[in-house]
Amino acid sequence: MTKKLEKIIYNNYFWVAIFLLPNFLGFLIFILLPVLASFGLSFTKWDLLGEINFVGLANYQNLISDSTFWKVLWNTIYYTLGTVPLGIIISLMLAIILNKKIKGVKIFRAVYFLPVISSTVAVAMVWQWIYNPQFGLLNYILSLFNITGPSWLTSTTWAMPAVIITSIWKGLGFNMLLFLAGLQGIPNTYYEAAEIDGAGSWAKFSKITLPLLSPTMFFVIIMSIINSFQVFDQIYIMTGGGPARSTSVLVHYLYQNAFEYFRMGQASPIAYVLFFLVFIVTLVQLRNSKKWVVY
Amino acid sequence: MHKKVLMLIFLILLIFLSTSSTMAEQITLKFMGWEASPLETNSIKTGLNEFMTANPDIKVEYTPVPFDEFHSKLLTMMAGNSAPDVFFLASAFYRDFAARNVLVDLTDKVDSQIGIDNFIPSSQTKMLVNNKIYGVSSCTVSPVLFYNKNLFDKANLSYPPADPAKMWNWDKFVDVAKKLTIKSGKRTQQFGVFGFQNFWWTTVLSNGASVFTDDYSKITLQEPAAQEALQKIVDLRKKDGVAPAGNFLENSGMNTAQMLQTGKVAMVVDGSWALQELAKMDFPIGVAPLPKLKDTITTGQAHLHAIWKGSKHKEAAWKLVKFLSSSKYQTNLVKVGLWMPNRKAMYTPEGIKKWYNPKVHPANFKALTDYFLNAKLEPSVIAPQEAWDVLTTEELEKIWYANQPVKEVTESMQDRINNLLNQ
Amino acid sequence: MKENKLEKTIIYIVLIIGGLTMVLPFIWMLSTSLKSLNEVFSFPPTIFGDKIVWQNYLKVSDRFPFIKFFFNSLKISIIVVVAQVLTSSMAGFAFARMKFPGKDIIFALYLATLIVPFHVLLVPTFILMRELGWVDTHLSLIVPSLVSAFGTFLMRQFFLTIPESLEEAARIDGCTPFGIFFRIFLPLSKPALATLSIFTYMGIWNDFIRPLVFINTTSKMTLPLGLASMQGLYSTNWPVLMAGTVISLLPILIAFLFAQEYFVKGVTLSGLKG
Repeated sequence: MTKKLEKIIYNNYFWVAIFLLPNFLGFLIFILLPVLASFGLSFTKWDLLGEINFVGLANYQNLISDSTFWKVLWNTIYYTLGTVPLGIIISLMLAIILNKKIKGVKIFRAVYFLPVISSTVAVAMVWQWIYNPQFGLLNYILSLFNITGPSWLTSTTWAMPAVIITSIWKGLGFNMLLFLAGLQGIPNTYYEAAEIDGAGSWAKFSKITLPLLSPTMFFVIIMSIINSFQVFDQIYIMTGGGPARSTSVLVHYLYQNAFEYFRMGQASPIAYVLFFLVFIVTLVQLRNSKKWVVY
Repeated sequence: MHKKVLMLIFLILLIFLSTSSTMAEQITLKFMGWEASPLETNSIKTGLNEFMTANPDIKVEYTPVPFDEFHSKLLTMMAGNSAPDVFFLASAFYRDFAARNVLVDLTDKVDSQIGIDNFIPSSQTKMLVNNKIYGVSSCTVSPVLFYNKNLFDKANLSYPPADPAKMWNWDKFVDVAKKLTIKSGKRTQQFGVFGFQNFWWTTVLSNGASVFTDDYSKITLQEPAAQEALQKIVDLRKKDGVAPAGNFLENSGMNTAQMLQTGKVAMVVDGSWALQELAKMDFPIGVAPLPKLKDTITTGQAHLHAIWKGSKHKEAAWKLVKFLSSSKYQTNLVKVGLWMPNRKAMYTPEGIKKWYNPKVHPANFKALTDYFLNAKLEPSVIAPQEAWDVLTTEELEKIWYANQPVKEVTESMQDRINNLLNQ
Repeated sequence: MKENKLEKTIIYIVLIIGGLTMVLPFIWMLSTSLKSLNEVFSFPPTIFGDKIVWQNYLKVSDRFPFIKFFFNSLKISIIVVVAQVLTSSMAGFAFARMKFPGKDIIFALYLATLIVPFHVLLVPTFILMRELGWVDTHLSLIVPSLVSAFGTFLMRQFFLTIPESLEEAARIDGCTPFGIFFRIFLPLSKPALATLSIFTYMGIWNDFIRPLVFINTTSKMTLPLGLASMQGLYSTNWPVLMAGTVISLLPILIAFLFAQEYFVKGVTLSGLKG
């Protein structure tokens, strides 16, 4: 083959088309177009059945003056604050323990991973039953310690914590595994050297483990926050957003607006608020990461 | 040999042609409903078989969908152009669907073939939207007071009277409920009553108050008589100690029948449909009107059968709706205790004979029939669905679940609900 | 030495308590599924009832074709995983190794949509599916998922780490881009491919909101949706509900037991990418 021909084959747009076009077409139709359409929809009033009307910024104005929206936004933040830090601390602790050379690591790892592979819908249903105040497992266990458990999912105070506990339980194994992989990437020689210098466990943890784990930590934090913003399944199943909207979150409100009240135009601004939140978190984390993530 | 093969081919062709021609004639109707219990679906399927035998050219495919998802699913299917031809519509959603212009106008057909005047008053008002009819009432159901007779006997108490004119007033009722409440230490073994908060509007109406203004443009729950009624419901639990927490139903995971059967509760307010399951229980049950504040009242509603505007088989669909609205079909479901009839003619002494079933309906049930006949229309039917939804699942839950004062909640929700009423 | 032993004991106690917390809900689910309704309403609860009630399973599988749901979920997951891995790695290859006008702009577009939550797309996608007539078909769950911006980005990043010298040689031997991609890049990218596959698979297998919106017919439902619609019917019958949950979880739990290592590896590789 001549050099010229070879160049043609390699840089030919024919090959670019073959490799990129299927993906790019799909991207245009099923990702980019809907993103833009969603933006367009946010300026309309439409129930998918009747006529579509342009209403300008009315949907955004409605949202700002809608007390339910602010409640739902706060619930989303409450849920995120409840799940992310606690979930990360517990899974990190477990990962550190499992990283020690002990017997049965594989079994424990598998056990902690079971909820991860179970579907959220199934998990939510099981926990709904566990939270049953009269005959549920949780309040029975609490009663053994002489504690009268609350009526979890039907209490405006306890419903959200109950959902949070379930979510942490479900996601624990996943984060733990990520941390475990991160820990295994830290060379043992670092710890040995530190021991020679007489470093205690805390010093080793804060001076070696945490900094070297920071890329994993960065990844886990971002993913956890983004996932928390988008929580839906367990809330739809366990509480339906109730009681008195105490567990309704952004995506749930979006779903209700779109597919229960059929206000497509009103659903879109909610979607954009969600996007904006995710965007901010990503941006802030990317900026901050330069300060604390060690590569 | 050749001839045999030819004959065979001919025969096969003949069979094929004959089956395909009958297949071409047969219409498949999609019919969607929900089920309160698997028993209900069985009753419906029996009825549909009857219909298909009478109409061999129509095949009906029935799909039950859980109630909680039903209406949102149905709208989504309509938007997706894949909705069923015939479907249930909860009366609270009926006007909402009619306003979206997705239902076939049945006014002429009902007028000429069924006659709206034959329906009881609450069903008439329910069906008419600006003098048009888009769905035919299936039946009527009303909240009533169910009780376990054994628990009354044990406490040596007389049963609540079935005759609405003689029904106890609220104070007498609370008295009895107190006697039926049994405590051991701090734990209440048996509660006197449960369920008023699920049918709170009956108490409001009974006190001479209303939920909305007559034209449904404003909420009126903040008015003193309405507040008083809501407070009575709260007091059952807080002051009188005869009712479990508002979320008892969800918390225990028991339905009405199980509450009464296990003796957790002596009296339960529930829709009359619960009779179907209660009748199968192994203890004697009683049915009574709701206790009165000023008037003895109940409210009536029940789902309607409607036809999708996009249906390709509107004539066949009407046949099905007409069948579902027939007294004959209705009677089967009334007999098992699930429904109550929605025709005036079924409440005359002869009419009652057609459906009264001693195996299901308690002995003094006949005294109650006028109670159903004269039921007021449930306010949820006329109020916009979203307003009703927000009112019951958000605002009033603050009273039932979050212990907020009646006055505070009813006053603070006015703007929001009025806005939704006028949207 | 002594301190070490104490430490180990504490570690085991923590692990076992934690492990019990993880397993107990599953045991509770299983035990409830084998009880009669009356036994469920007894206090204190027991792990095993007087009698094992298999009827709960019959009752639920009578009404809800869980095997059908399982195969629906399986079919959709497999098609989407294979397609997404293929489209992502091919486009990733183009972005990593090919030169063409507008490449940076197009890639920036991909990056920009990376953080768009799926829910932003939900309503427009529904409208699109309606126009295509795909509502209530599996196409509505499959086709929009054939392409992933995240997957494309992941594969491009991975391909960038493959040294150019490797393909140089192949190029001199007259290999086409096709050959280079399939013979050099794909075999070298097994870890990234595994990660992408597992992420995609878990996302699709457990997806709930899209089937909830797009699918109506019972026989077309996926496992999570079928399970949720069962809940609507047997809202208070916990033994039957738990029996359904057990049936729905069984296939994936069994698969996990056999392919545990792959699962674990697939997830941990993504962690290294930080």
